[in-house]
Parts: sequence; structure tokens; C-alpha cells
Amino acid sequence: MWFERLQNIDRRVIYTILLIVLIAPMIKPIGIPLSVNSTTRQVYNLIESLDPEKDIVMMGMDYSVAGQADVHPQAVAIAKHLANRNIKNIMVSFVADGPMLAEKVIGLLGDRVTYGQNIVNVGYLAGGESAIKKFIEAPGSTFINDHRGKPLASMPIMAGLKDINDITLILDFQTGSPGYQDFLRQLPAGGPLYAAGIVTVSVPNVMPYLNSGQLAGLLQGLRGGAEYEVLIEEPGEGAARMDAQSLGHVVIVTFIIVGNLAYFGSKRKGKAHGGGDKV
Amino acid sequence: MKRSVPLLIVFVIGTFLLASYFFDFTLPGTSITLKQGASTVNNWGVIITAFAVGLASINLLRIHGAKIINQRSGWINSAILILTMFVFIIVGIYSRSNPDNEAAARLFSNLFNYAYSPFSATMYSMIAFYVASASYRAFRMRSLEATLLLSAAVLVMLGNAPIAEQVWAQFPVIGKWLLTVINTTGQRGIAIGVAIGGFATSLRILLGFDRGHLGQGD
Repeated sequence: MWFERLQNIDRRVIYTILLIVLIAPMIKPIGIPLSVNSTTRQVYNLIESLDPEKDIVMMGMDYSVAGQADVHPQAVAIAKHLANRNIKNIMVSFVADGPMLAEKVIGLLGDRVTYGQNIVNVGYLAGGESAIKKFIEAPGSTFINDHRGKPLASMPIMAGLKDINDITLILDFQTGSPGYQDFLRQLPAGGPLYAAGIVTVSVPNVMPYLNSGQLAGLLQGLRGGAEYEVLIEEPGEGAARMDAQSLGHVVIVTFIIVGNLAYFGSKRKGKAHGGGDKV
Repeated sequence: MKRSVPLLIVFVIGTFLLASYFFDFTLPGTSITLKQGASTVNNWGVIITAFAVGLASINLLRIHGAKIINQRSGWINSAILILTMFVFIIVGIYSRSNPDNEAAARLFSNLFNYAYSPFSATMYSMIAFYVASASYRAFRMRSLEATLLLSAAVLVMLGNAPIAEQVWAQFPVIGKWLLTVINTTGQRGIAIGVAIGGFATSLRILLGFDRGHLGQGD
């Protein structure tokens, strides 16, 4: 009887427990210690090695609003690091939501950046991989005005950008297509280094590209963002949400274990009574 | 004719773009090179995609407009959809055409941050609840394959949860090994298979054997 019940827990009970476990740490963070993944550290070391005088970084704001819980903390942490080091940051979007999310990131940087001098949001270009190809062929002339409608030609940050090789590092934050595959297909050999910030579910797909060295670094979902906040010593929303995600994982694993124990319990009981598998 | 012309366009453009990856020479009778020509064709692609967004909006208006006029079931949802679309289009175009108008920019930003953003994130977040419920019901050790799948899923999940790392420091190590060794091997095989399949399909489309993209009709 109990085994049957434990195998068929009402989904509303699961939803309620998960909801409580997710909300509680957001109201009162636990602060579970977090170790830093080597792929996150690679990105950090890359940015640390840049020269503020000559290096330009392109931040690809290619994530949708739906996936921002996973990717936005990564973009914010990276933008803060670039701003702290006074590295020129050109934000480009090949996803329609991107420019508005870029504005949100710029808004969080406050006085650390001067718009037009060390940061700019050039806006969105439709076309997926074709748009990426166009930007790579002519990064300095693809956009005439920025997202705010101001002419880019008058901005000091754009003065040094003529060719794709003028960009030292591309950091692309993405939730799907266009994404890493489109960039890797179009970037010229010997061109800028490419690193990505992705949603957690995409991590298994990206691994072959990381192992082959095509990706210079990888931020893996919300955890990647939280780890980066630890590295730059500025805990933000990533670290706060990580407690909730961590406990959420434990709840899911617990339910899986309970379901399996009940399954084997009922199987043994069924055999003892001469019955079969009733699941 | 209805099929021959699109097939010819696909063949000519496809071959032209493909050739530009391998060769570069001045096109006969012109002053432009093959790569420059391919770049121009690529720009057309970008422009066509931008037009496709407009076309999709018109299509949306046509389908949902008919639903509202005929007062079919759920017409109120269609009305909200059309209204929202127009509010975003009008505010967006106005704020974009008047970059110095801060009130318009703020209104568009507020619509995005306080309406679109929370709604969209809510829809996505709900997946977590379905995943929890589905994992509990589906992950049963019924066979060796199911046991392997379940064990890998649990170990990777625990490897990604800092709380599990506090319980046993080896969880991230095992999770990472599964991702970088076992998973990568499989993913690489899938990627190679997809690439070969993609190449074969592209070739079939280019040569006109595969005509699914032309839709129904003669």
C-alpha cells in the first residue's frame, strides 16, 4: 500500500515542495560555498590578460528573455569585469531580445562605464548565421546607428574597429540559435578568440567544441554566472539564485530515489505474494 | 514553372555561395570578385529575414483578425495578442524614430522589463516543475539502460549542485568526467552524423531531388 502511494505521489505535492524549496533561499540566502569550474576560470584569465589600451571585446547578447535566469547573471558579471578593467566592450545582438537585455546590463554598470567610450550597444541584426557572417565581414560598417539611435561613427569606441581581427575576444551569451555553431562556422581561422555563456541544458552539446579548443572558455548556466561573481568578488543575483537551484536539484534527486525505492519495494512484495510487477 | 523557377534560383544561389568558400576570382564582365558577390547575396539573405519578420506580423494579424471578427472560441486571447502587438510596434517605432524623447524610450523599456520579460520568464520557469514531476515518474530502474541513464542524470545533477559538493567532494569530479568523457564521445558521434546528414540533404536540395521546402502544389 505504502509502496504504491510512494510511487504515485500527486504532482501538486511535488510542485508545492519544489516551490517552497526554490523560494525560501531567495528570501533568505543560505550561502552554500561554490567551487569554480576550470572553464569559468579560463574566461576570467582571458579577460585578465587583455590590454585596456588596445584590446576590444565583443559581447554577443544572443539570449532570449525566457532564458535570462540562466544567462543574464553571466553577462552582468562579465560586463562588470570588463568595466573594472576598462576594456572596450561592443555589445551586438543577433536575437531580437538582445538589445534590451544589453541596456539592462549597461544600466547595472552605472558610473563604471562611459557610453560611447568604453561600452556601446549597437543593436540587433536579423538573419541568424547570415547576419553573423555579415558582421564578421564588416564589423565597423554593419551598423550605422546604435540601439539608442545615435550615429556610431561619432563614438570613440568604434574608431579602432575596422576588421574582425580588431576584436580580440568574442564572448557570446546565448540560449539557442544563433549560437556557438554559427559563430564557429563563420569566424576566420586565426581570428578573434571565442568563448560562450550558455544555458545549462546546452552544456552536453557544447563539450566537443570545448575539448577541441574551438571554444576558449565556457560559462555553464546559472552556475557559471555565480562562479564568475565569486571570481570578481562581486556576489550578485547568480550567487543568490544558486542556493535555490542547488536545493531544487536535491529535491528532484530525492523524489527519484523515493520513487525507485518504492518501485523495488512493491516489486519484492509482489513476488512474495506470487504477483507480478504492478507498476 | 511554379517549381522550376524556385529550383533554378536555389541551384544558382546555392552553387554560387558554395563556390565562394573554395575559389575567388573576378566575375566575367564585372569588376567584383566571387567573394564580394557572395557577400552581396548574403546581405540579401539578411534583408529577406528582416522582411520575414514583417510578413509574420501580417500573417498573425490575418489569422487572429479573422478569429476576432468571427468571434470563434478564444477570440478574446487573439484580441489581447493583436492589441499587445500594436502597442509594442507603435511605442517601438516612435521611440526609435525619436531617440531624444526619453519618455518614449522609458515607456518601451518598461513594457519590456515589466510586462514581456516577467511573462516570458514565467512560461520558461514552469518547465522546472514539469521536469521534477516527469523525472520522478519516468526515472525508474526497470532495465540496465534505464539504470545507466538514471545514474548518469543523478550524478551530473549532483555534480552541478554546490550542496552535494559539501556532502561529498567527488560529486563534481564524477559529473565532470561524465560530461567531458562519456558525453563528449557520444556528442561527437552525433555531430559527425548530423554534419554528414546535413551535407547530403543540402546536396539533395541544391540538385532539386528534395523539394519539401517548396511546399504543396504543382
